[in-house]
Amino acid sequence: MAFVLQIFSWKVALIGAALAGAALAQNPAQIESGQGQFVAQCAFCHGRDAAGGEDGPDLTRSELVIQDKAGDKIGPVVRNGRTEHGMPRFNVSDQDLAALVAFIHNQEKMMKSQNGQRRGVDVSDVQTGNLEKGRAYFNGAGTCSTCHSATGDLKGLATRLQGLRLIQRFLYPRGAKATMTLTTAKGETFTGDLIYRDEFNVALRDASGKYVAFPAKSVKVTVNDPAEVHAGLLAKYTDDDIHNMMAYLQSLK
Amino acid sequence: MNKLSKKLSTLILFCSGAVFAGTTPEMLMKPPSDSWPAYHGDFSGQRHSALKQIDTANVKSLGMQWAFQSGVTTPFKCTPILVDGVLYISVTDHVWAVDARSGHQLWHYAYPENKGFHIGSRGVSMYGEWLYFLGPDGHLVCLNAKDGKVRWNVVVADSKKGYWTTMSPMIIRNHVIVGVSGDFDNLSGFLRSVDPETGATQWRWDSTPAAGTPNATTGGMTWITGTYDPQLNQLYWGTGNPTPVLTGSARPGNNENTCSIVSLNPDTGKMNCAFQASPHDTHDWDAVEVPVLADADFGGRPRKMLLQASRNGYFFVIDRVTGQNLLSKPFGPVNWSKGVDDKGRPIPDPKKEPATDGRLVTPNEGGMTNYRSPSFDPKTGLFLVDTKFGYGIYFAKPGDGTFGWAGADYDVYNHSALQAIDYKTGNIKWSHDLGPNAAQAGVLTTDGGLTFTGDSQGNTLALRTSDGATLWHAGAGSIMQNSPITYELDGRQYVLTTSGSVMFAWALPEK
Repeated sequence: MAFVLQIFSWKVALIGAALAGAALAQNPAQIESGQGQFVAQCAFCHGRDAAGGEDGPDLTRSELVIQDKAGDKIGPVVRNGRTEHGMPRFNVSDQDLAALVAFIHNQEKMMKSQNGQRRGVDVSDVQTGNLEKGRAYFNGAGTCSTCHSATGDLKGLATRLQGLRLIQRFLYPRGAKATMTLTTAKGETFTGDLIYRDEFNVALRDASGKYVAFPAKSVKVTVNDPAEVHAGLLAKYTDDDIHNMMAYLQSLK
Repeated sequence: MNKLSKKLSTLILFCSGAVFAGTTPEMLMKPPSDSWPAYHGDFSGQRHSALKQIDTANVKSLGMQWAFQSGVTTPFKCTPILVDGVLYISVTDHVWAVDARSGHQLWHYAYPENKGFHIGSRGVSMYGEWLYFLGPDGHLVCLNAKDGKVRWNVVVADSKKGYWTTMSPMIIRNHVIVGVSGDFDNLSGFLRSVDPETGATQWRWDSTPAAGTPNATTGGMTWITGTYDPQLNQLYWGTGNPTPVLTGSARPGNNENTCSIVSLNPDTGKMNCAFQASPHDTHDWDAVEVPVLADADFGGRPRKMLLQASRNGYFFVIDRVTGQNLLSKPFGPVNWSKGVDDKGRPIPDPKKEPATDGRLVTPNEGGMTNYRSPSFDPKTGLFLVDTKFGYGIYFAKPGDGTFGWAGADYDVYNHSALQAIDYKTGNIKWSHDLGPNAAQAGVLTTDGGLTFTGDSQGNTLALRTSDGATLWHAGAGSIMQNSPITYELDGRQYVLTTSGSVMFAWALPEK
């Protein structure tokens, strides 16, 4: 049965949607047009069925897609790209974007109706750990309690994040704010949120909201990056540690 | 014009050397300094130039000479080729001819709208006065280099079955050799050699048999242009991962000829030998990274070698005459192997195969390096490779099936660096941080002691090859996603780089 479901031709996808009872409220021609574009421009990374491919996330489980209304969230991502993660920007007309969005939402509905036969990562897939071992790791070898508290900053964590999203977040919290301190040759210091840093330029926004930038060579730079602290732990985790941590973190409701 | 005066004017043109000839086999064997006539420059894949007008002392004065703006949003991923003062460049669905001295466009060819996967175009190739361009949908198009008009268009792979094409065809004598891609279906991987005049198939080599063949696997895609040894008359090519990609249980065993470096006779397509970089791969780690050819000492005696920094995180040195493995050493952290076997092949740890509840693997799916070309500098013995340190979680369960991707994987973390590997030991001599996320630039080295590449934040860099120090940079605005080239015209050395939809030519100030 699973094998049959994997033979994914375009026509089968549309027929499957109709049979699954997922009402094709949108124009089927629009969905087909969106599918054509999706296959050509998006499928390599996101999979032909939008459920994930080479390097690109599963759009059918994406929070952004779930919250999207008629392209209000999907549109900006398509048009601006996510260049730091390797997604280029695409020049699409409003009509083409509408078709693309229609296809993505149709895939989202279709995959949901495939209950238990659906490819990708379900919350139920990642329940193999031991809660007590996870708690011990959090407070011990994992060093998590150095910065985090189950009753403090992590209270309600499992209500906010589940499954794959939770694993990804604790392994590497993208978007966690880094701060930077710059000291000039004269001894002036500036501290604030790290806005930009490369070999040649550094920039921060200080507490008053002022944007402060220098050539990198002209200042001493120190950075406090919580996400990088997490990255340093990646070499230390065993897979058991990760699953045990999941069991524990999922108890923080 | 009567016949006589026509003959006379042709004769005059010929004598003045202004006849457009395109490439010759001699030019491809030993490219003159005013050319870059094929994807890798020459057949070795070293991407090392003897030009030294621009050197470590004066590169700080490097300035922009011209910029070519393509006018399409698709970023450049091609290596430009330069023949007779004209550059030929491409992105998916487009080819341009550009004056190498001024950056002005001669002509533009647009491939018709199609349903192929639009991943990228690594460039066009030239045989005589004809260009060869792969559409993304498995079509090989032959264009007249003078005006971009189509001569013929043949199908080299069936895109309806799931094949797609991105590479720059390899030209060896009268063979135009194309490789294919396609991981979302269980497909046979192959190389096809076609006649440059007609596009008719001369031979086909299959890395894997058709789906359904007992005790075999599909996959082994031939993604990227290989290298060639004219003395041995051997073509070296890397093959991709087996399919289904993340589920290995459906295809037990090593999965021969997938994730392998093979040597073939280019006249017949007959395989000579193969070295498998990733036996029984379950992480999508194609071994299609450039098989760089180098003749140098190893272990105290001269060897004809093949060097590959592979996607799975290992740097391999192979004796390309005997196929013997000389060195296998990780060039960054790897957690998926139990060491190497007596043939120098990594032994995959079953505990790090994709699983229902996920396995944390380094490198991650994009690999410790990928399609972007490395460079070998014979003077320093350094192999420069754009390296991505990364972690990913790999999942596979019965519900994912045994077709195509058959699983899911997610990057957790990425960071990039340019690393200089001592080929004799596999030790890292220096590492130059290229920033967060993935840099995607190829590398060029020169006898001026310079290494040209790009970082992950839009900077174009010139580094000192001996120690990786930055000597010059340009904030080009978008990451470099191709490989730089260099050439000399009118007594000036130019370096060509790209950033987004712009191609830049750099040179020292005119005297």
